[in-house]
Amino acid sequence: MTAVPTPSRTYDLSFARWVRENVEGGDKLNMCMQCGMCSGSCPNGQEMDNGPRKLFMMVRAGLKDEVLSSSTLWECTSCYRCYVRCPRGIPVTTIVQHLAALAAKEGYAPKNKVENYFFSKAFWWSAESFGKTDERLVTMKYFFSFGFGEGIRKALDNLKIALGMIKAGRMHIGLPHTIKNKSQLKAMIAKAKELEQKG
Amino acid sequence: MSDDIKIGIYLCEGCGIAEAVNMDELEQAVANQYQVAKCQRHAAFCSDEGRAVIEKDVKDGEVNRVLVAACSHRVMTDRFNFDGAATVRANLREQVAWTQPPQDEDTQAFAKDNVLMGIAQARTCDLPEPHENVVKSEKILVVGGGISGLTAALEAARAGHEVTLVEKTDQLGGWTRKWSKLIPSRPPYRGLIDNPIEDIIKAVEENDKITVMLNTLVSKTSGEPGEFSVTLSQGGNETEDVFGSIVVATGWRMPDDMTPYEKYGLGKIGNVISGVDFEEVLKNGLEHEGKKLNTIAIIIPCESEAMPYTSGVADRIAIKQAIQVMDADPSAMVYVLHDNLRAHGQAEELYREAQEKGVVFMKAMVKSASEGPELVIDDLLLGREATLTGLDAVVVQTGMMPNSTNPDLPMAEKGNEFLCDDVNPRVPITINGQPAGDGDEVKAEAAGDGEEASAVTPDCDPENPPLPGGPILNLQYRQGPHIPILYNGFIDSHYICFPYETRRTGIYVCGAVRKPMTTAEAKEDAAGAVLKAKQAINLVKESRATHPRVGDLSYPHFGLDICTKCRRCTVECPFGAIDENEEGYPKLNPSRCRRCGTCMGACPVRTISFKNYSPNMVAEMIEAVEQPDPFDEKPRIMVFACENDAYPALDMAGINRREINKYMRFIPVRCLGSVTLMWVSHALEKGYDGVMLMGCKSGDDYQCHFVKGSAIAKERIGKVEETLRNLMLEPERVSFEEVSIADSKRVVELLDQFGEQIKGIGLNPFKGF
Repeated sequence: MTAVPTPSRTYDLSFARWVRENVEGGDKLNMCMQCGMCSGSCPNGQEMDNGPRKLFMMVRAGLKDEVLSSSTLWECTSCYRCYVRCPRGIPVTTIVQHLAALAAKEGYAPKNKVENYFFSKAFWWSAESFGKTDERLVTMKYFFSFGFGEGIRKALDNLKIALGMIKAGRMHIGLPHTIKNKSQLKAMIAKAKELEQKG
Repeated sequence: MSDDIKIGIYLCEGCGIAEAVNMDELEQAVANQYQVAKCQRHAAFCSDEGRAVIEKDVKDGEVNRVLVAACSHRVMTDRFNFDGAATVRANLREQVAWTQPPQDEDTQAFAKDNVLMGIAQARTCDLPEPHENVVKSEKILVVGGGISGLTAALEAARAGHEVTLVEKTDQLGGWTRKWSKLIPSRPPYRGLIDNPIEDIIKAVEENDKITVMLNTLVSKTSGEPGEFSVTLSQGGNETEDVFGSIVVATGWRMPDDMTPYEKYGLGKIGNVISGVDFEEVLKNGLEHEGKKLNTIAIIIPCESEAMPYTSGVADRIAIKQAIQVMDADPSAMVYVLHDNLRAHGQAEELYREAQEKGVVFMKAMVKSASEGPELVIDDLLLGREATLTGLDAVVVQTGMMPNSTNPDLPMAEKGNEFLCDDVNPRVPITINGQPAGDGDEVKAEAAGDGEEASAVTPDCDPENPPLPGGPILNLQYRQGPHIPILYNGFIDSHYICFPYETRRTGIYVCGAVRKPMTTAEAKEDAAGAVLKAKQAINLVKESRATHPRVGDLSYPHFGLDICTKCRRCTVECPFGAIDENEEGYPKLNPSRCRRCGTCMGACPVRTISFKNYSPNMVAEMIEAVEQPDPFDEKPRIMVFACENDAYPALDMAGINRREINKYMRFIPVRCLGSVTLMWVSHALEKGYDGVMLMGCKSGDDYQCHFVKGSAIAKERIGKVEETLRNLMLEPERVSFEEVSIADSKRVVELLDQFGEQIKGIGLNPFKGF
């Protein structure tokens, strides 16, 4: 993967063309005709600063910083409505997710919408470590991502809910969920990372 | 020779007529009318057996006028057409059987009145005698040597006609010569095609049927279809020739006024070039002034602020040029700045192709342009202002101004007011400064409501016409030398219903002088116009009318003995068919005439008539209807319905079984333009309680088949008020409605509304006098 170019002027297409080459689904980005079906369909659209339609136009306009620090990337819940409805068949969700990954990699991520970023990180940590998500571990990891003191406070805030869930049998006590042959999962992830590095 | 008239009435009982109407009663009521020789009934006169009955009577000489009282005159016209006997129809099916309650007193009266009107019509109409016409030439003149003209010449030659192709400049090909690549016109509508202009020019030059005349202008055209006598001036050498019909393909030019484009820097800032000049750059492999272009903004100016003459053509050309840039250099950056991107026809595919190739389309308004070039834009998709920098070139798409006039020539000395609109029919026509005509009536009508009106409608100032320049054909017509234009200077031709017709019969128009179009469209257009030109020659050979009353043999006769030389007919004819002779009397050019009867409606002394359509005929029909006793409280309302759209809509109402107001009586007219005000006042004098005129839409988006007929009728009806006041009648008794052919529901509602209105006013006090 080549380095992400930083456009020297507005509407310089170097960033847009880099996205086209390197982001999954980016080759379809050209076809966006700015109809707004994606933003109009998005159930979370009100929370977003830009929405997918505008985000894509910003990619064309070469606004790299604005794109990668946009909250749109982290507000996406992957419901795939935009993907299904796009009249030009653009994989909107895929592109947004991959732009989020790019934002994380390029160091834009923690600056905005930290909660969603931290949660994604916690989720991935659990999946990578145990091959499964364990609600207690993911939650704890997420809480303590904000710092030790903040973690304790958040945990205490949610204690009542946790106890209620245990009582109702919705959260188990004991060892974390895990899969068999964790080493094979590790090998798979390592291989994927290696492939990704190669580009 | 009225003694010789023997009318045969044929009462059809089919299609539900016999169920709705008491046929015995009807037969009794009409069989003994004056000059009715025979009255027969049959279950279906349209059957072979029924038709044979009529044919036998005609053959035996028992009848010489046939009145078929059956269906509408718009259907079964071939079936009810008998040699040697004028045939008229009374509409018992659509108007009576299908729209009225069966076996009702009023239904019976309706049927009877329709037959009585038919008898009056049969009595007063005759078989048309074709005028003696000579086709002196079957050659076709094509004016303009661009893509439309070249294609027209080739198509005409292919259809077997000799062609003379006249081109103003010293070479053929016109604008298309400049184009690098063309928009595809065939599936899959992707991938630009090579410019075929060289092959087309070669084909024209090699064709023996085509005579090409370069550096040539048409200096004079007179005559009529079949015998246009044209003077061609080749560098001052004048030659005369006779042509059967003319195809005008003079194309377009850059707008005379380029100041609206200066906002984008065109002509002011370096490296800002027009879309036309950019074609040259594309031919040179993106080289402009020794520099290879890479970053290019293509502007499609916002129509409202800059482009009065453009259309989707500029948009499609912008897409095409953007694709060409990407094809030449995939690393190029092309921005298409548009307000509305219109990809007409199949150009949506082209738009996709451009997107796939990486062209960036931006909905953005250009605010200003400066050296560099740099553009300050309002990006409507991002909702912010931005500056486009680092551009190698800016391409501005310009408009297409029609060559409806020749800008190289001085303006015509007279007749310029006929270029863009019609003379106001309410204003007196002057001859040498004196009001024309000596009939008091003319003066009274002309005085109008005392307003100081101009002789031409306000949007046309003869001193300052919308298009500068001289006439293309320099027609030696009473109505000036021009082919009339509609808006933005494009030649008036109804772009859906009759695209190639101009308002000068036998002269057809194609290409960008008709409407803005691309090369492929122009080629198609040229073929269409040539077919019309060919059709005109063939019809004129048989002395028949061309569009839209195709094949009609009748033509107007002028009773010059009582003509007052008011010149209203020569001025109001929508097609300039009537000239004036030396003494100032109207002189008809029958092949130019389209038989609408607008002259008939215009004539204040009612001396213009057709053999089968005359002021007298309709007056007799008006009188034929029986007025009920005033104490019955049953009004009678006369509806003059244009047979092009209004009458079909009424027929359609019948087919859909909508109930038509039972107090209405209908007379089909050729065009509302043929309605003389005498009919209106006559109807009211005879005791009708109201009169309605029902015709096509007038105005810039007219639907009138004779272009100006309904507009002229509207003007005329505007002054009927005074006539009504003289009769001591309420002006609300006369109504004018514009309907379309699809308005079958609306016409019924309109009739009911008008019926209610008349009821509110009360019965006509003249009833019973």
